[in-house]
Amino acid sequence: MRSLRRIVIMGEMHGRDLTKRHAAFALLIALPLSFYLASAGTGTKSIVAGGVGMAFAVSGATLFSVLSSGEVDQRLVLAGYRPHELLFGRLLFLAPMGIAIGGAFTALMTVVSHPARPALTFVGLSAVALLSIPFGLAVGAAVPRELEGTLVLIGVVGLQLAIEPTSPVAHVLPFYGPRTLIASSLGAGGPILWPMVLTSAYGIALFVLARLLVGRRVGVERHSRVTDR
Amino acid sequence: MSGRRAELVVSGVSKRFGRTVILSTVDLTVHGGEVIALTGENGAGKTTLMRICAGLIRADAGSVRVGGRIGYCPQVPGLFELLTANDHLVMFGRGAGIDRAESLRRGHAILEEFGYPLRERTVTRDLSGGTRQKLNLALALLADPTILLLDEPYQGFDRGTYVNFWDHCQVWRDAGKAVVVVTHMLAELERVDRVIELPAHPSRTLARS
Repeated sequence: MRSLRRIVIMGEMHGRDLTKRHAAFALLIALPLSFYLASAGTGTKSIVAGGVGMAFAVSGATLFSVLSSGEVDQRLVLAGYRPHELLFGRLLFLAPMGIAIGGAFTALMTVVSHPARPALTFVGLSAVALLSIPFGLAVGAAVPRELEGTLVLIGVVGLQLAIEPTSPVAHVLPFYGPRTLIASSLGAGGPILWPMVLTSAYGIALFVLARLLVGRRVGVERHSRVTDR
Repeated sequence: MSGRRAELVVSGVSKRFGRTVILSTVDLTVHGGEVIALTGENGAGKTTLMRICAGLIRADAGSVRVGGRIGYCPQVPGLFELLTANDHLVMFGRGAGIDRAESLRRGHAILEEFGYPLRERTVTRDLSGGTRQKLNLALALLADPTILLLDEPYQGFDRGTYVNFWDHCQVWRDAGKAVVVVTHMLAELERVDRVIELPAHPSRTLARS
């Protein structure tokens, strides 16, 4: 129960912090929107582009939240938090926000691009948003500098957009599952279960990786007690 | 110090960064009700020793043992730029298992003692350096720690708050806390029980020459 309370407080504080960054918050919406609108003439492919834009936006926001608070995070661990509580706190705020953005974009895309299965489009976009969080956490924990972290993020997400989905490389990139879900929503057929399982597996693996790396970075040594007084 | 409990025992702590030896077999014992000043030239390892004592970095050799909870006030305040003082108090209090109302009550009491403008709802980014430092110090004190590790905690303080800080060292001493203050302020050394000067280590002296 104590752990849950700490996670809730962290979620609340990250929410307060991000919602005060008005420009960043606006870009969270504007980035996927610009990806979508820029490729609006390409039919349903624009939905995939919008999804990739969302991956950039949400994982970028997550990356920033990790990199900008390294010093504070370690102090919070000294104050009694556990590293995984700091990560779950971010997840608690960013996940509903990502799903809300996914919902808004699904509504827009349904009206403009007419995907065959809008509900699956929503699932695909939500999967993008949800996977972007552990991805951003893992990149932030693995590459603890802004420039390098941003370049890794751009490299991975950009590669996912640039290469053909049939390419073997595309299959091992983290956003292959969500991209397949979005592609399946555009027509009458296409796989659903397998990409959902893949997305879940990638999400869990990235979160565990982030936990291990963050634990090493912000972990605090608990000293033994003085017994001889 | 006989009869007083040892709250912080540092035994043979060594630390190097790359080829540079920062600390070499440092021993230090601080008892409850004792205020220690930690001095030394720049690069002598004062902050490194404080961070090792707080558990933020690991020593290469030696051990640290503690008698209770540690309150650590870093030299540079690590704060969320867009959160208020109240947000920080609630967040740090929760880490120590203190609820929201109690965190605010305790935090406001500490901040008030140091002249923090309590009606201020400004985010920390817009606070002056001294005001940020007051919050930094309050966060270290919030959970009523037994051991206080204060790394030049008065930076940016005005004269009145600076004097107030040293008066509080007396209060913490009377309350039985073990206090270590990193300081360069030689005029205040008479207000502490002991002065520990960390030597510039030979490996760095040689490197400079």
